[in-house]
Amino acid sequence: MKGAIKKRGNIIFSLMLLSLAFVAAVPEAEKAYGAVSAGDLGKRIYEERCMVCHGDKGDGKGLVGNGIMRWAEKSGRVLTVYARDFTTGAFRFRSTPTGCLPTDDDLVRIIDSGVPRSFMPPHKELPIEEKKAVKEYIKTFSPRWKEDEPCKVIAVKKPGYVGSASSVEKGKKIYKEMKCWECHGDDGKGKGPKSDKLKDDWGKQILPFNFISGQLKRGSSPENVYITFTTGLDGTGMPSYEDSLKEDERWHLVSYTLKLMGLVK
Amino acid sequence: MRNRFYIMTLFIAGVVLLAFTLFAAYKEMNPEWKAYQKEYKELLVKGTRDEATKKKARELETNIQQLYLGGLKRIDRCTSCHVGIENPLMANAKVPYRQHSGDYLKKHPMSSFGCTVCHLGQGRATNKKEAHGLAHDTHWDYPVIPLKYIQSACVQCHDLDMLKQKGADKIVKGEQLLRENGCMGCHKLNNIGGVLGKALDIIGSQPRIYFPMGFVVGEKTPYSWIKQHFDDPRAIVPVSEMKVKVTEAEADLLTTYVASLRAEEMPKSYRRILETQKDGKTSEDGEALYKKYCIACHEKGKDSLFDEIFMHTIPAIVNPAFLKVVTNDYLKKVVEEGRAGTQMTAWKASAAGLSGQAIDNIVDYLTSKRPKEKAVPFNIVALKGDLKKGEELYKVRCALCHGANGKGELGINLRNPVVQGADITFLAMTVRDGREGTPMPSFGKNGVGLSDQDIVDTVSYVKTISKKK
Repeated sequence: MKGAIKKRGNIIFSLMLLSLAFVAAVPEAEKAYGAVSAGDLGKRIYEERCMVCHGDKGDGKGLVGNGIMRWAEKSGRVLTVYARDFTTGAFRFRSTPTGCLPTDDDLVRIIDSGVPRSFMPPHKELPIEEKKAVKEYIKTFSPRWKEDEPCKVIAVKKPGYVGSASSVEKGKKIYKEMKCWECHGDDGKGKGPKSDKLKDDWGKQILPFNFISGQLKRGSSPENVYITFTTGLDGTGMPSYEDSLKEDERWHLVSYTLKLMGLVK
Repeated sequence: MRNRFYIMTLFIAGVVLLAFTLFAAYKEMNPEWKAYQKEYKELLVKGTRDEATKKKARELETNIQQLYLGGLKRIDRCTSCHVGIENPLMANAKVPYRQHSGDYLKKHPMSSFGCTVCHLGQGRATNKKEAHGLAHDTHWDYPVIPLKYIQSACVQCHDLDMLKQKGADKIVKGEQLLRENGCMGCHKLNNIGGVLGKALDIIGSQPRIYFPMGFVVGEKTPYSWIKQHFDDPRAIVPVSEMKVKVTEAEADLLTTYVASLRAEEMPKSYRRILETQKDGKTSEDGEALYKKYCIACHEKGKDSLFDEIFMHTIPAIVNPAFLKVVTNDYLKKVVEEGRAGTQMTAWKASAAGLSGQAIDNIVDYLTSKRPKEKAVPFNIVALKGDLKKGEELYKVRCALCHGANGKGELGINLRNPVVQGADITFLAMTVRDGREGTPMPSFGKNGVGLSDQDIVDTVSYVKTISKKK
C-alpha cells in the first residue's frame, strides 16, 4: 500500500516537472520563432541563411564576396562559383519556357535540395512553411514577379525508347547537327572550340558542362536533361531548343547525353 | 589399303618436318644483320671512287659484331646492324647505316661505353625486335629509350650543373619542373616527401609490370606510360588523385627527368659527378621548399580552392586574413603533424622526412607575407561561453557549410584534431573577421553582426563538437 502511494507520488511529481518544463520551454520557443507574418519570417530566414552569399539586396554580392569560391574539376578546369543574382529575375532551373519566371515549386525545390557542384546547400531540415516564406521573400527582389504573367509549366513524359541503341544513334547525329560540340566538345568533356570564351549574362566566365563528370546541377535523370533542352538555362549560354527541335528529337538527344554520362551503353 | 594410308600419312608428315627444318635452317643462316651488313658493304663500294677503300670494303667480313664492356658488365651487339655508326662516310646514310649524330662518340668511345648504357634495349639480342624490346612479348624490361628522352641517360654520370653548361637543357628543365611544381608534396624522393603517391626514387628502373598498361595508347613502354600519365593521369589510372598543370612540352621534359631516376649506379670510373655535390646538404630557403612540397595543392595560397578530386577545400595558407591571426607555433604544429583525414601529410622528420630547420624555413616564408597591421585583439577571458546558445547559433549560422556534425561539406572539417587543438582566441578571431579569399565571411560587427558574446558561445560549442555523433 505504502509502495503504491509512493509510486503514484512519483508519477504525479514527474508529471508536474514535465508541465513545468513545457511552460518554461514555450516562451523560449516564442522568442526564437515568435508569431510573425510570412513576410517577416521569410526575411528573417533569408537574413540568417541566404544573405551571407546572396547579399542583403539579393544581388548575389553577399559577405562572402563576389565569387564564393574557386572550384577545381577533376579535369583540371578551375571555375569561380558565383551566388545567384535575384534582381534580374533570370533563373536557370525552371519548368517554364525560356524567358519566363520559374514557378513557386521550382524555387522551393532548389531551396530544398540545393544545387550540386555550386555550394548551394540543401535545406531539407527547414519546415515547408519556412521554405515557402523564403521563396516569397526572394520574389520581392525583382519587379518582374509583379509585372510578368505566370507561364505555363512544360509537361514531361518520358517515351519508352529513351536510352535504346537506335535512339542514342539518332541523338548522336542531332548532337553533331545542332553544334552541341562547339561548346561541350566532341567527347562531351566540355572542351569544345568555343568553350574558352563563353560568358554568362553578368559577364562572368562560364564553362560548358562536362558530361563525363556525371552530376548535373539540376539533377541527372533523363527528365531533367529533357527539361534543360526544352527550357534552356536562362542567363547562361545554353539556349532553349523548344522551337528548333521536335519533342522526339530532344528525347533522342537525351539518350545520347545519357550515353556520354555513361548511364546507358 | 590400310598400309597405304599409314605410308601416306608418314610421308606427308616427313615432308612437313623437312620443310620446317629447311625453313629453320634458312632463317638461321640468313639473320637480319647479315642482310644489313651486305647492303652496308654495297653502300660503301658505291659511295667511294678510291680503289683502296673499295678493296677494303669488299674484304669486310660479315660477322656478328660484339662490344664487350667489362667495366659496365654489358655486351652490346647493336653494331651488327648499326654497322656504320663510327664511319664518317655514313653521315647522311639512312638508319641503320648512319653515323652517330653529334660528337658524342669522341668523348664516349664505343670501345668503353657501348650503346645500351645510354640507349638501353637488349644489347645481346641479334634481331631488331628483341634488341629494341618495344613489343610486349619480347619480355625485356628496359626497351630502347625514345630519342626525345635520351638526356635521361646523361645524368647517370654527369651532374646537372655540368649538363646545363653543355646544353643538356631537357634534363635540367625537367628537374627544375619537378622541383617547382610540388611533386614531392605527394611523392617521396631521397626519402623526403608526401605519402599519397608512389616514391619516385627508382621509377626509371622499374620493370614493365610496375606500370599498368591497360589504358596506354601506342607503344606499351614505361616512357609512354609516364608521358601519358603526365598528360592526363586519370586517363591512365582512373582512380588517380594526381594534380598536374603542365603543358605537353613540359610533360616531355618531366618524363625525361623521371625516367632518369634509376636504381643502378654507374661504376665510379665512369661517373663525372663532383664530390662536393654528393653530400645532399643543399641549404634551401623557404620559398624553394614551399615550391617543392606545398605548391601542388596550395598553389599560391591566396585563395582557397574546392577540389573535386579530394572532395574538400584546400585552405588558403598565404592569405593575409589568415596570417594576421595565426601564430608561428600553430602553423609549425600543423605542418609537422599534418591534418588527419585530409591529404595534408605530417611533414615532421619521422613521417614525411622534413627536418625541423626546413619546416621553420617554410613557416618563416609563409609568415614573411604577414600584413603589417595587426588584428584587433579578442578579449576572450572576460566572456564565458554558453554551450546551449552556441549550439543554436551553430545550427543556423555554421551548419550550412560545416555540416550539422561539423564534418564539413563545403567548409572545412571542424572535428579535426588540428581545429580542435587550436587556440580558442584564434578560432574566435577567425569567426569574427572571416577570411578574405575564402567563402568564410566575417560574422562580427562588420559583417553578419554577431556580438562577441555570440561568437564565444559558438566557438565554445565548436570546441566540443568532436564529442557529438
